[in-house]
Amino acid sequence: MLPAVVVHGGAGHIPKERAQNSTSGVSAAARAGYIVLKGGGSSMDAVVEAVTQLENNPSFNAGCGSVLNVKGEVEMDAFVMDWKTLATGAVSAVRDIANPTQLARLVMDKTSHACLTAEGAKQFARSMGVPEVPMESLITEYSRMRWRKNLAPDANPVECQMGKMGTVGAVAVDSEGVVACATSTGGMLNKMEGQVGDTPCIGQSSNIHGQIFPEGHSQAVMSILKLSEAASDSALAYMKSRVDGLGGVVTVDPQGNWAARFSSRQMAWAAAQKDTLHYGLYTGEHFTQSIDEILL
Amino acid sequence: MSLCNRNLKMSAVVVVHGGAWAIPDDLAKASVDGVKAAACEGHSVLKRGGSALDAVEAAVRALEDNTVFNAGHGGTLNTEGEVELDAIIMDGRTLGNGAVSSAKNIAHPVTLARAVMEKTSHCMLTSRGANQFAESIGMATVPTETMVTEYERKEWEKHKNYVTGVMEDFNAQWAHDTVGAVAVDCSGNVACATSTGGIRNKMVGRVGDSPIIGSGGYADNLSGAVSCTGHGESILKVTLARLIISHIEQGKSVADSSQLSLQYMGNRVHGAGGAIVVSPSGQWAATFTTERMAWAAVDHDVLWFGLDPNQRSKEQLSN
Repeated sequence: MLPAVVVHGGAGHIPKERAQNSTSGVSAAARAGYIVLKGGGSSMDAVVEAVTQLENNPSFNAGCGSVLNVKGEVEMDAFVMDWKTLATGAVSAVRDIANPTQLARLVMDKTSHACLTAEGAKQFARSMGVPEVPMESLITEYSRMRWRKNLAPDANPVECQMGKMGTVGAVAVDSEGVVACATSTGGMLNKMEGQVGDTPCIGQSSNIHGQIFPEGHSQAVMSILKLSEAASDSALAYMKSRVDGLGGVVTVDPQGNWAARFSSRQMAWAAAQKDTLHYGLYTGEHFTQSIDEILL
Repeated sequence: MSLCNRNLKMSAVVVVHGGAWAIPDDLAKASVDGVKAAACEGHSVLKRGGSALDAVEAAVRALEDNTVFNAGHGGTLNTEGEVELDAIIMDGRTLGNGAVSSAKNIAHPVTLARAVMEKTSHCMLTSRGANQFAESIGMATVPTETMVTEYERKEWEKHKNYVTGVMEDFNAQWAHDTVGAVAVDCSGNVACATSTGGIRNKMVGRVGDSPIIGSGGYADNLSGAVSCTGHGESILKVTLARLIISHIEQGKSVADSSQLSLQYMGNRVHGAGGAIVVSPSGQWAATFTTERMAWAAVDHDVLWFGLDPNQRSKEQLSN
């Protein structure tokens, strides 16, 4: 069952004309993460590689292709976490870098802190030799069009957000049974400057499966934890009933059980395990093919 | 303001903390006096029928004004000698929450956090965006010299030269004088608030646990309200506030939930800290694994307070 990687490209309602790009994007990212794992790389290496691919892909709301804040600028959030040590790294409202997830990993590996924000995050990037990129290189026609549309006084950015590619993320378990996760986003469409969403906040967008349950819990709870699907569905149902929110999750446990679940209309997701690529977009979809086949 | 039926058995309770760390003797009295005064502030709000949200904001504002604590005035300095403040406030009734991180030179970050919750459609604003928002609602910035104490500037100079690695091993010895409050009002609504200047000599833009929902604080009418203090990076790794709430959801007492969660944090990530908790029915606890934590609570017109482990002193408040 090991290793395995699961990737998502955002939960929402994705327009038909963008569906193909989202499916091929998450599949390519899952494949890239899987190659890292098969080559003996760690789960952290795999999730960072997978999410880096999604950040570089202009079809997703992360890195290049990020949505714009109310001023028409790109501010990005990212998060990584390692189950072995519960080490975490995050950046919020960071500007002018291509791969916030890699910067989040540097926060984890090279500082004694868990999160750096805004100008502080940028200063740190500079000190690490991370190249600065012009903001223009991260902005697509599509994101600019969406931003302009949502400047109108009667616009509903939240609703519009659900119609765009959302936050991206990946979870993985490597051959040693160590799990890791990574999440990255350009945030909310037309958000206020400096708005930070759930992505860089540990426990919100990303968590190590099972972490919320303390040690010493009963066997009954443990068996529930192993049912990734049930746990995910239960959590999504709670979010819907309590605060009327829709979303999606990808999970994996140290034994390689994984799930990709969502309460929104669609979520672009892909998983790789035992040399098989799994993927889907609409509720109930679960396609498989050999990892070596080229996705048309 | 909610109307309060004095015949209700439900009691309004407020608990505050002024940070969990090895508080030195020369700060001990001022810390205890400070939390007692803040608890009384919160209590006055509840007594006249105010909401739990109003009470926690009032209590934390009192602590932010008090330069003995590391929040608002008296905040610690980052590595460049600037003040960057974090705060969160959460309403257990709606799960509404507001937070600011790395806001500069704001006298009452908890009030700015509340404005994020009530005046925007967002939950958190950071850095320049947070300051821009403050300006847009007429909240003044305060010059750094006014916010920073002589004591803090001296400590900052002293610590500037320590190797970070050495400090990491003794996170229980660091100053973690984040402040916070939790309350339940006479309608059974709970709320929490946490505010801090962060760790002394932190990197520019460092965000700790305090403004992060589920870590620095959490409030839910179905289980309770929590505010945490201690080594921020450790609190984040175990999402301490949410962990305590999870135990309460499983039926444990507020005291046991806090103990178990703090122990887990100690065992799993070698982090020390403290937490204050209140349940919708008025049960409360103040628990810590550091050497000391300045805390105070008002419950049924009795003022409780403590500093050292197992210390529970009390004073009757006049009606």
